[in-house]
Amino acid sequence: MRVSLRQVVRHRRRYIGVILAISVGVAGFISIITMGEDVKKNFNEDIAFIGGVTIIRNVLEIRPQYPLNKFHPETVEAIKKIPGVDVASLVGMTRVPGDWKGQVEFFSVGAVDENFWRMRGLKALTGRLFDAQEVEERQRVAVLGTRLAQSLFGTDKVEGRTLELEKDIYQVIGVVEGLRDINLDKSLFVPLTTGIDRFSKQLPVDRLYVRCATWDDVPAVAAAIPKVVKAHQSDKNLLVEVSWENLANVKRVAFWIEFFIYLAFAATLILGGMGIWNIMMAAVRSRTREIGLKKAMGAEDRDILAQFLTEALCLSFVAAVIGVALGRILVELLGFWIGMRPAEELFFTCLAISLAFAVLLGVGAGLYPSLQAARMEVVSATRYE
Amino acid sequence: MNAQAAPSSKALIQVSNLTKTYFNGAGAIEVLRRVDFEIHPGEMVAIMGPSGSGKSTLLYILGLLQAATSGSYLWGETDVLTLNRTQQAEFRRRRLGFVFQACDLLENSNVYENLEFPLIYEGVDRAERPGRILEALKKVNLGHRLYHSANLLSGGERQRVAVARALVNRPQLILADEPTGQLDRRHGHLVMEHFEEIAASQTAIIVVTHDPDIAARCTRVCPMEDGILRGLR
Repeated sequence: MRVSLRQVVRHRRRYIGVILAISVGVAGFISIITMGEDVKKNFNEDIAFIGGVTIIRNVLEIRPQYPLNKFHPETVEAIKKIPGVDVASLVGMTRVPGDWKGQVEFFSVGAVDENFWRMRGLKALTGRLFDAQEVEERQRVAVLGTRLAQSLFGTDKVEGRTLELEKDIYQVIGVVEGLRDINLDKSLFVPLTTGIDRFSKQLPVDRLYVRCATWDDVPAVAAAIPKVVKAHQSDKNLLVEVSWENLANVKRVAFWIEFFIYLAFAATLILGGMGIWNIMMAAVRSRTREIGLKKAMGAEDRDILAQFLTEALCLSFVAAVIGVALGRILVELLGFWIGMRPAEELFFTCLAISLAFAVLLGVGAGLYPSLQAARMEVVSATRYE
Repeated sequence: MNAQAAPSSKALIQVSNLTKTYFNGAGAIEVLRRVDFEIHPGEMVAIMGPSGSGKSTLLYILGLLQAATSGSYLWGETDVLTLNRTQQAEFRRRRLGFVFQACDLLENSNVYENLEFPLIYEGVDRAERPGRILEALKKVNLGHRLYHSANLLSGGERQRVAVARALVNRPQLILADEPTGQLDRRHGHLVMEHFEEIAASQTAIIVVTHDPDIAARCTRVCPMEDGILRGLR
């Protein structure tokens, strides 16, 4: 072992390329596996905002044969507890008359709870969005869509302004950005509780938006919702809508991205393995005389085999250790970047897998060259020029 | 200086009817023809002959570095030609020491490491190795070069280190293939002086050489021509 380590250290310039290739592969493997779930979740969120594929829209439709229906609070709570549900938000949309510069103007109003923003991935462009406390306290605050803010005030900086809706004064606290639906962007949003209190006659609280943690959860959650609704209230006019086609497209794109990333790292590792093979074959060839000399000194075949195999193992192990260190740095950077902290156990599992893989790679790629060295005939080796 | 002691009467090795034949497309080439000889502890024997006469082949067969085609090679009661590869390796490291013409030292290693390898293969305890290595180096007056890089030694020093390496496992027979071939006259004779001192401690030495002056310093000189060895037995 000591002799082999010494050889690796003394021939480090020859080995550095192979070590780097394996290190990069191992680092990639560790970061992908460790951060995979978090990255996937993040990716899900981004995709969800674009295609809404993880959002399940549940509507209690108005049908002539059924009485008006609305989501009961206990139904909403039960739906939130379905495994795979990230967030659920109850929404009521209506049109409310208001006074604007002495004229009656009809405003499109969304009465939403505090989860609405997270459910749709919305952020405040200016000011802020109302929170759980303001919903709880039924405050008369309003958040405007950007188009509405522009059309009313000619600016996004509307914090502190007021609006009159059905003779009540609402304080504008901010402008929300990220609404891709033009109609919603022309709307204003008030706390759900305030909306129920103030516009109860014309406010149907008939929409429940459920966002799943990942797109893999969508089918199970979509299947569970009708059962949960039925267990708590009438489900006769329930309509559960999922963008199945978009979901399939997104999953296909994600699969190929994932596939090519894994392929790239597998290729890196395979190239690393071939590098070890090649470099060990070259080492055996260039050290033929040394092998002959050692055999003349009394080295047995197994001594030579052990020496070269240990050298191959040292190469792959050193590469794996560097890869693990690089992987850790990558995981930390990725964690910082996407704002998540992966499970430590997962990292250590990956570490163990990487080291085990390195041993396999070293043995696999180093075995044949080592056997070649061990089986070398002494006389031809000592006469090798 | 001649420090040789009287050779022991009991033969160390006995070789009978040893042949080596190579087969190629053109037919068989007999390199060694019915070689018979014996050598005693403390003897220093020179094998002389022109290139291609078979002297190096004989040396390699005696060192179990190459297989013979037929014949017997007795070491005590054991015919060592019948040993398997592992036993042959064990035999080489316990009984034999080799010195090659090309001053073969392991490059990128220092003198200590070069001498350590035979001890590692023999399983000598790490604590015991420095003493053994120094003892061998002192026999060739290179005790002060213990940690010098092999690459930085002169030709004469390299060959003396090779002699020390052959000695480190305390062999009973040293096989030297043109050990002075790449040295100047002064260093060549210095190496031979070391051989004479080694032979004085009952270690037998076989030296393959072209140089009559070197051969003259040996106990016996055996000419070899066309695979036939004369002058022994």
